[in-house]
Amino acid sequence: MKYFLLATLAAAVSVMLFGSPIAREKPLRDHYYESPEPILPMSFAHEDHVSENCILCHHNYVDDTGGGPCMNCHTTNQDVWPLFEQQYHELCRGCHEEKAALGIDGGPPRQCIECHRGDDLP
Amino acid sequence: MTPLLATLATVFAITFLGAPLMGAGWFWDAGNGMGFAAFAGLLYLAITSNRRLDVRAHQVLAYAVLLLVVAHAFWFLLGDATAVEFIKIGAPDYMWLGVIALLLFGILIVSADVPERLRLHKDYAGFRYWHRVLTVVVILAAAYHIVGSNFYLGTWYQATLFALMSVAVCLGRDYWIRLGEINIVSPVRFLVLSSGLAIAFAAIRNWPA
Repeated sequence: MKYFLLATLAAAVSVMLFGSPIAREKPLRDHYYESPEPILPMSFAHEDHVSENCILCHHNYVDDTGGGPCMNCHTTNQDVWPLFEQQYHELCRGCHEEKAALGIDGGPPRQCIECHRGDDLP
Repeated sequence: MTPLLATLATVFAITFLGAPLMGAGWFWDAGNGMGFAAFAGLLYLAITSNRRLDVRAHQVLAYAVLLLVVAHAFWFLLGDATAVEFIKIGAPDYMWLGVIALLLFGILIVSADVPERLRLHKDYAGFRYWHRVLTVVVILAAAYHIVGSNFYLGTWYQATLFALMSVAVCLGRDYWIRLGEINIVSPVRFLVLSSGLAIAFAAIRNWPA
């Protein structure tokens, strides 16, 4: 049993260091959008979200905080940068989950890679 | 068989109290179905640990539960190259608790094996005490991992019920030992049942409406 556990640990460490040997797509952490630390790539299709109210994401339209593309502030402002991952997960995943719970088509996010495959964010 | 069915049914039933048809895709739901089945297996191991315990059957079933826990973890790690980011530095605490629960569960099993047990504990009473303490830590860490991830237990009452169930198993030993001798199910039966439930869990949440 202890050898099984050691092998499991070794496999986990290997996946952490070298990635999954069977997953087809592998996201690459990098300094996207001038982020101070390497982050995962992100996908967002504006055209799939045109039915949503703009201010759901673009809070700056009403609260006058920042302007331009989202990443202008969210990766460079020292106050919001530490919350980057949490805020985007809550916003994107939270909204999809909410809709799915209400039975509205639009579904929750699927695998992590579905959002982190690296298309261009606007 | 009945206590195992009751444990599995309770765990899965709680997940369906909130948004029963909300799924995250076959891949995600099947992997998490395995995780829920493994957690139920962990609770079953604790519940059936009474004075007339068939130690060998308990031990062999624990291996099967561990196998399911490892399958749950590697399902995501191997199937989605991004998932590994969720167990690196900066990951949410509930993910760290999941990793810690898995590691401690492994230690719990290995430290109960001879000769490791004899090396670690002077007497059987000492072993039993620390085995129970570690079991409680593993159950609570795994429960935090599940409740904290907040997808299938999205409502306050689901989270409360799940937490209460976990605490009840940890604190209810005086009651469990009165259940008398329970024939612990075979690992094959546990794994077949768990796999079936994991598939059903994913199917209910993803079947086209």
